[in-house]
Amino acid sequence: MQAILPRLTAMKFAIALFAPPHAPSSRRALRFAEAVLAGGHEIARLFFYQDAVHLASSLPVSAQDELDLPAAWRAFVQDHQLDAVVCIAAALRRGVLNDEEAQRYARASHNLEAPWELSGLGQLHEAAQDADRLICFGGD
Amino acid sequence: MAKSLLLICRRSPWSGPGAREALDVALAGGAFDLPISLLFLDDGVFQLQPGQQPAAVQQKDLTANLQALPLFGVEALYVARADLERRGLSAEHLSLPVTPVEDAALAALLNQHDLVITL
Amino acid sequence: MATLHLLSRSPFADTSGASCLRLLGPGDGLLLSGDAVHALQSGSQPFDALRALPADRPCFALAEDLAARGLAVPDFVQAVDYAGFVELTLRFERTNSWL
Repeated sequence: MQAILPRLTAMKFAIALFAPPHAPSSRRALRFAEAVLAGGHEIARLFFYQDAVHLASSLPVSAQDELDLPAAWRAFVQDHQLDAVVCIAAALRRGVLNDEEAQRYARASHNLEAPWELSGLGQLHEAAQDADRLICFGGD
Repeated sequence: MAKSLLLICRRSPWSGPGAREALDVALAGGAFDLPISLLFLDDGVFQLQPGQQPAAVQQKDLTANLQALPLFGVEALYVARADLERRGLSAEHLSLPVTPVEDAALAALLNQHDLVITL
Repeated sequence: MATLHLLSRSPFADTSGASCLRLLGPGDGLLLSGDAVHALQSGSQPFDALRALPADRPCFALAEDLAARGLAVPDFVQAVDYAGFVELTLRFERTNSWL
């Protein structure tokens, strides 16, 4: 088969995640995102919808000998100063709240902080329109 | 020019938030005047079944969201005929006006759109 | 204007692979990841279905998932790493992930 040659033009990617942190696709998405940047391309936005909103929670505790995927994602977003948007409706429904929403709904605490941002589905559409490619990760 | 998006809906209406959250993507896109099409595939065709009573399982009626689609400019609605037939449903008796598509035409439908999201 | 289809569920557990084959047209590609690579288990029906795909519908698999499962790369499949995965998403006009 034809060899896959490296592309010379930098392309813009929008990457959307739909599955929870323990789903293999969530780790695959991170590896893909790393490869996008390593290939000299840009990530216009990361968008977290459905169960993927759990990646933005600061509460999960990983066993010492296990991959801490939420921490790995957080470090990736921070190191590269990426735009990481979490769908607010999906997050509220699943109990992922920032300080503002926790106060609005009189919840005892919040579990979402920077670099994650809560916003609407319009951000997914905007990223998909703006980027050269929209790649979704979910299922298993 | 705006990129067109085909949303492929594969979830049955009462199997969790998937069906509703897919429709939310469509409605949000419509609200921004984006060209959005929907294809109901696999168990997604059950969303179109008439006579549903979601209150029986304490759920909100999805039909209202589906019927709101044209109001948001989302009028290109398709259903895979083969999936209707496999499930004993008739294209003539659905809760929404949708265009049945044969399997042979599905690949072309995808390739007519700039973007595709399968939920 | 071709589509790269991305599968990630086992063909024995889920219908996304079968549905994907209904939507796969000339020029489209198929990338197997996660448990979808179990379709490359020789002697299985999904293996036969993929081997029978015409040459204008290339089949790819994520190398790490084959390795994790101890699966060999069949001769009709190209194994890719993540750099190759990125390149595939650029080679095809759009990627349709079966969630």
